[in-house]
Amino acid sequence: MIKIEGVRKSFGALEVLKGIDLTVERGEVLCLIGGSGSGKSTLLMCINALEGIDAGRVEVDGIDVHAPQTEKNKLRQKMGIVFQQFNAFPHLTARDNVALAPRRVLGQNKVETLELAEHHLAHVGLGDKLDHFPSELSGGQQQRLAIARALAMKPDYMLLDEVTSALDPELVGEVLDTLRLLAEEGITMIAVTHEIPFAREVADRVAFFHQGVIHEVGPAKSLISNPQMERTQEFLGKIL
Amino acid sequence: MNNLTLTFTANDFMLMLQGAGITFVLTIVSGFFGSLIGFIIGWGRSLGLWWLYYLLGLFIEVVRSVPLIIQFVLFNSFLAIAGYPIDPFTSGIITLSIYIAAYVAEVVKAGIDAVPPTMVKAARGLGMSYFQCFRFVVVPIGTRSVLPSWTGLMLGLMKDTSLIAVLGASPPELLRSSQIIITRIQEPLAILIGAGAFYFIMCHFITVAVQRYETSWASKGKVTA
Ligand SMILES: Nc1ncnc2c1ncn2[C@@H]1O[C@H](COP(=O)(O)OP(=O)(O)O)[C@@H](O)[C@H]1O
Ligand SMILES: [Mg+2]
Repeated sequence: MIKIEGVRKSFGALEVLKGIDLTVERGEVLCLIGGSGSGKSTLLMCINALEGIDAGRVEVDGIDVHAPQTEKNKLRQKMGIVFQQFNAFPHLTARDNVALAPRRVLGQNKVETLELAEHHLAHVGLGDKLDHFPSELSGGQQQRLAIARALAMKPDYMLLDEVTSALDPELVGEVLDTLRLLAEEGITMIAVTHEIPFAREVADRVAFFHQGVIHEVGPAKSLISNPQMERTQEFLGKIL
Repeated sequence: MNNLTLTFTANDFMLMLQGAGITFVLTIVSGFFGSLIGFIIGWGRSLGLWWLYYLLGLFIEVVRSVPLIIQFVLFNSFLAIAGYPIDPFTSGIITLSIYIAAYVAEVVKAGIDAVPPTMVKAARGLGMSYFQCFRFVVVPIGTRSVLPSWTGLMLGLMKDTSLIAVLGASPPELLRSSQIIITRIQEPLAILIGAGAFYFIMCHFITVAVQRYETSWASKGKVTA
């Protein structure tokens, strides 16, 4: 379970998160929606301590993420994160991209990690691209590679930051299909997305972000079809 | 006796060959230590500690502004005055290493900066430690993007080794040995062409070695970032 309580975060004079409270249960899919610059990416990175926080508390499975004694590298192993920019390691083949962290971080043996990589690449539909370098893959394939790479660490949680935003429209579908697959497998996900129909279909709950606060949060279908707050209505009206 | 003939002799050729060998060894040894020191300095500047950044930046600026020939003489005299005179080759190699390190440091810094911050975040997000991320992601990606600049530095270094002559290092390196022969036989053009050919062959050797290494990454693993 992820428990976020009163989280505040500033970059210099700019307060990006102004007191965030949010709880995500095991197995739940939560989508974060909201305008650009409202602090969604920052929140994701505060959850796995890629960014520090100024006030409040983030708890993952009872562990205080930002406590100085918390082993952050260990914590991140169970929280996969995928970004808008695919960030496939350009110097490694698809297989080595996926095998790198299990080998170096978990210390698994080489053969084992290569098999693991093949398994996870096949899982996201890249079983025939094992020896391809990222430069030889399409955007959608690179993004699925990034997802497979995160999954190879067997995370309990996935943090997804606009993973389809940098893709050509015709490639969005294949990545969303992969996410649907994960949702069906019951992996806990927090996904920032602009794909409202996807959020409505896959998410259990949706949270609407506006200027550093969560304005409205509720069950996906009702929040999207019947938003209560004026700002949410406005935002959804513009994007849909 | 060789010193009395006014034509190019086999001994002259051997002198130039020996000079080329010395030039090459000076380049390789100071290139190695200079790259090592430069790597550490460039890495230190990437840590985000402002005082370290400026301190190392000052070092780089000083070393890059003072002509190498002055550094050779100053360092050598300093050692002599301090009471630790060492042979010109050792003192020359130390000076050359420090000199080239300042340039390598800038290249290393550029290489580290060439790795997009989100790439680093993706690696850390997988649970990699700072050092794992540095070793397995930042270094390989950065190296690929700055290897041509680094090679350029090494070729420049080879030509700079000739300045060690101000220390009276003996036996002479390639340029000095050529000058000795020119003074005697008064055939500057032919000898300089010969010396140039030696330099070219050695530079070409380094260039080809680096290219071999580059292709071993598989042209596909090319970094465009
Ligand atoms: N590392 C940073 N340094 C300074 N400002 C930042 C940094 N990261 C994000 N910001 C700023 O914080 C605000 C929120 O950014 P972000 O969390 O990326 O929003 P979103 O993902 O909702 O578009 C933006 O104004 C952005 O410019
Ligand atoms: Mg964002």
